[in-house]
Parts: sequence; structure tokens; C-alpha cells
Amino acid sequence: MMASRTFIRRSVGVALVIVALVAQAFAGFFAQELIAEAAILAIFALSLDLLATCGLISFGHAGLLGVGCYVFAGLTVLMGGSANVAFPIAIVAGAVVAFMVGLFAVRTTGAFFIMVTLAAAEMLFSWGYRSPMFGGANGMGGVPRLNLTAIGIDLNDPATFALTVIVLCIVIWLLLELVVSSPFGRTLAAIRQNPSRVAALGGRVFFYRLAAFTASGAIAALAGALKVQHINFISPDLVSWFVSGDVLIAVVIGGVGTLVGGPLGAALLILLKELLSSTFGHWYLFLGIVFACVALLMPKGIVGNLLDFYERRITRVAASRREPTGDAA
Amino acid sequence: MIALETRSLYKSFGSLAATRDVSLAFEAGARYAIIGPNGAGKTTYFNLLAGNLRPDSGTVLFAGRDVTGLDVTSRAKIGIARSFQRNNLFSDFTVRDNLMLACALRAGTTRVFWRPMRQTTSAHAEADEVAAQVGLTDVLGTTVRQLSYGSQRQLEVALALACKPQVLLLDEPTSGMSPEETARMHDLINAIPRSLTVIVIEHDMDIVLDIADRIIVLDYGRVLEQGTPTEIRASKVVRQRYLGEPAAGVSGGPRP
Ligand SMILES: Nc1ncnc2c1ncn2[C@@H]1O[C@H](COP(=O)(O)OP(=O)(O)OP(=O)(O)O)[C@@H](O)[C@H]1O
Ligand SMILES: [Mg+2]
Repeated sequence: MMASRTFIRRSVGVALVIVALVAQAFAGFFAQELIAEAAILAIFALSLDLLATCGLISFGHAGLLGVGCYVFAGLTVLMGGSANVAFPIAIVAGAVVAFMVGLFAVRTTGAFFIMVTLAAAEMLFSWGYRSPMFGGANGMGGVPRLNLTAIGIDLNDPATFALTVIVLCIVIWLLLELVVSSPFGRTLAAIRQNPSRVAALGGRVFFYRLAAFTASGAIAALAGALKVQHINFISPDLVSWFVSGDVLIAVVIGGVGTLVGGPLGAALLILLKELLSSTFGHWYLFLGIVFACVALLMPKGIVGNLLDFYERRITRVAASRREPTGDAA
Repeated sequence: MIALETRSLYKSFGSLAATRDVSLAFEAGARYAIIGPNGAGKTTYFNLLAGNLRPDSGTVLFAGRDVTGLDVTSRAKIGIARSFQRNNLFSDFTVRDNLMLACALRAGTTRVFWRPMRQTTSAHAEADEVAAQVGLTDVLGTTVRQLSYGSQRQLEVALALACKPQVLLLDEPTSGMSPEETARMHDLINAIPRSLTVIVIEHDMDIVLDIADRIIVLDYGRVLEQGTPTEIRASKVVRQRYLGEPAAGVSGGPRP
């Protein structure tokens, strides 16, 4: 049954990629901005879902995103460094910070893990809020984008930027598909189901969780570095727990542990926000109602419930095929 | 040679002494059965041997080395594997995925993140081998949740076997199994090579008397008696306290 679940999951991913590329090809100026925003949130959601693969739900993931934001903005705007150098450094910084936070955080699970990650993120938020270097609460502008003119790509063009972010998102998705199907990824999935048995089989649960948290931090920081490039601006709001909440909603709505669910949820979230905020005053309220309904109807998220639906059907078909032979025997 | 040994092991849960002054030595390659009524402390003793619990006092020695301070993961790595009384599996995985994971963890290949698990051919072959050993070949592709209870019990033992341990601890491997499955497990335990030391907690006295070289009787956390099957059958204390009146087919106390 495993193979078919993977197949359906990946099919959803391919469909999503096609929709994104088609939409990007036909989008006008304003829609390009939304597509880039959604694709960045999608990358961020992938990083959160990688962590969920081993059963850890973070409520402070904006903190790791924020590491990418602040390191990238700091190196470029404050230190005048090249964006192309700052980008990989920001990603490594995300991994390093995640590793250090993880040394404490991944010893805990459930509510404690949520509290530890939230606390770590709030520390960064309150530092950013009072940091005069980065303009404190007002934020700071002038964050440059990667310079890819050498290979004929102008990222200051909104359409090109959106397409580039989509491509990055696809690359990360494909990499994570490989990771979750690898022995390492299967160990993470086993840890989510039954950490004590993994330990009894000789698996160092702490090590795998720390590795997942570190990788997740690198990807989150990458998303953060893209975020500040997209809006050419940095402010502590990028690190607020609202941002952690948004990405958590995206992953939960799409389906925890499905990889493609996060990006799907991210796209829906951005789309709905746009539709609702232009129609209603209290759009956040409506957004909440919509997502509460989705969560009630599909507790495992859109992709999660889709997978269960197909699995039940396959099982039923298999059972009806078995029965006649059973009678004959 | 002594494979595993405990010296005056104690473990209490609050005021309840679950393990009291247990000193036992297990010869390498021999088969042991631990029997005793419900709540006698059999599982607790396994938890102390495998490292799931730390003793309040006393030592655990593995091949002469003090392993009391090692946790369950380290003890699994050095060759102590166990199965659990209550099924403790990866319920979203298929049987093959369960076994491949166990094999990959033992082989130390689970840090590989750059190539799919199904390309780990060694784990694949080993998983098939273990499945054949316990009789799970037909259901290799079935998800654990959809497996019969008996097959889940077989997988529980198979996961421990997949660790290729030196000492194998089986906690009531046949509980809840059908007579056919029980017979199969009985044969399986008999077929385990003598390079392994096997300790089984078992209530089925037919199996115990057949497989065990030595039987240990636990009662209220203490070793009540130990000896060969013949000695245990003849033991007055055991007859009074544990085996009771019936002559044949005695079971180890009330079953749930
Ligand atoms: N983690 C625990 N916390 C508190 N009490 C425990 C714990 N584990 C076991 N006990 C108690 O210790 C005693 C011994 O339990 P144990 O599970 O070792 O018995 P057992 O011989 O395996 O019994 P059974 O035949 O029912 O499996 C019991 O009274 C049990 O309730
Ligand atoms: Mg027990």
C-alpha cells in the first residue's frame, strides 16, 4: 500500500507544480507578487513538514525563518556584502541555529517541544523589535535580491523572481521526496510512529530528530532569505508567532507528513487571504472559519484524507478480488 | 561462558518492589524460560536487562562487561534484543518496511539520506529472510494495522530477530496466538541457532518444558526457584506456590 500512497502524493505534487507554472506564465504584475509569496510560504511549509516527519510540531518555526531574514539583511544591507554570498551563509546560519536550539528542544516532544520552539522564536522577535541596527519595530528597507545577471536572469523582474522561487521550491520538494524515501527518512517516519521501538532496535532517536531539525532550519532560513529579498524589507513582524501560525495552518490544512500538503495549503492560504481581505473587513475571522471547517471535514488535511480515501478504496477492491477465490478454495 | 548476568538487582515502583535481589547468570547459547504468576516482575526484569529501566541498585553484566549505565539503544547495539509483551510495532508501515527498518538500523545504514530505502538491497534480502523464518512471507506487503493479531505477534518477534542479537529476550511470544501459530512459534524458537542465548517469558508450560534448558521461577519479584525442567517439576516449593494441583497442561496463573 506504501507504493500507491507515495504515487498519489507525488501525483498531487506534479499537479500542483503544473498549476503553479501555468498560473505564473499567465499572471499579471500583481499576481506575480502573490505567486512569489505563496511559493516562499510553500518552501517554509516544506521545512516544517520535514520536522513533522519525525513527529515534532514546531510552533516557533518563524524563528528559524527569521535567522535567514536577519542574517541575509544584515550581511547585505548593514555590511554591504554581496547577496550571492549572503544567501548560502544565511542558509548555513539557519542550520547552525537549529542545531543549537535542537540540542535542547528535541529532547522534548509534544507540548514541551511547542513551548521550547515558541520561546526561542520569541527571543529573536523581541531582540529584532528592539534592535536599532535593523530599524527596530519599524524595520529596514533596501534588502537586495540575488544577482544572477551573469546567467541572464534579472531577479528584479517580478515574473522572473516568482518563477525562480517556484523552481527553488520544486527542487527542494524533489530533494525532500528523496530524503523521506531514504533509510534516514524512513527512520524519521518510524520515530513518529513509535520512538521507543526505534530506540529498542538500536536507533539513536535524539540524533535523527536533531538532524531533521537542523535540515529543517536550513530550509526555513532559505525561505527567510527569499522573503526579505521579495519584499526588499526586514521587520520583526517576519518573525512573529503569526508567521509560525500561518505556516502551521498551511501544513495542517494540506496534510501533516505528506510533503505536498504544505505547499498546497500555502497556496490556498495566500489565495484565500487575498480573496477575503479584498471582500470583507474582518477577513481573518472568515479565514479562521474556513480553515476550521476544512479541519473538521478533513482532520488529516486535504492530502492526508485524500490518501486515506484512496487507500480504503484499494483495500476494498483487493478484498472483493480475494473473496471469490476464498469461496472456491 | 556467561552471556548475561545480573547481580542483586532491585527495582521498585513507589512502594511496590517489582524486582528484589535478582542474581542470575545466563550461559551463552543456552535457553531459559522465566515463569511466574501475573505481576511477578518478569517483564520488569526484562526491562532491566534490555535497558528500558534502570535498576535502583545492582548490576547488569553483558559478556562480563558492566552495562548497567547503558541505555536501551546502546544495549541493542551491543547485541541485546527484545520483543515486547504488548505489540510495539510501526503500525503505518508494511511488514516489509518494519523489517527493513530493523535490518537497516542494525546494519547502521539509516544515516543514508541520498538514495531510496528500497535500493538498500542488503536490508531487503535480510527482511525477506527474517519474514520467511517467522512465517510472514505472504503478508510482507500488508500494513501492520491490517494484519491479524497472530501475525502482529510474529512480527513482534521478527523485529527482535532482525537485530541479529547475541542475547534474545522474548516476552510472552505466543500470548494470544492460535494453536497453529503457537506451534509455529514453538518450532521457530527451537530452530534458533545455538549461537544465540534465548530467554523467554512464557505461560504455556508445554513450550517451557520443551524448549528450556533451565527454568527460572519468579514470584513477588524474587527468584523462587531455578533449575532444569525436571528439577522444577519436582520442586516442592514450585508445586505448592505456583504449579498448584493439576498434573498436566499447567498454566502460569490466570490469563487476561
Ligand atoms: N512502570 C511501572 N510503574 C508502576 N508499576 C509497574 C510498572 N511496571 C510494572 N509495574 C508493576 O510491577 C509489578 C510487576 O510487573 P511486571 O509487568 O513485571 O509483571 P509480569 O510478571 O510481567 O506480569 P504479567 O504476567 O502480567 O506480564 C506489577 O505489580 C506491575 O503492576
Ligand atoms: Mg509481563
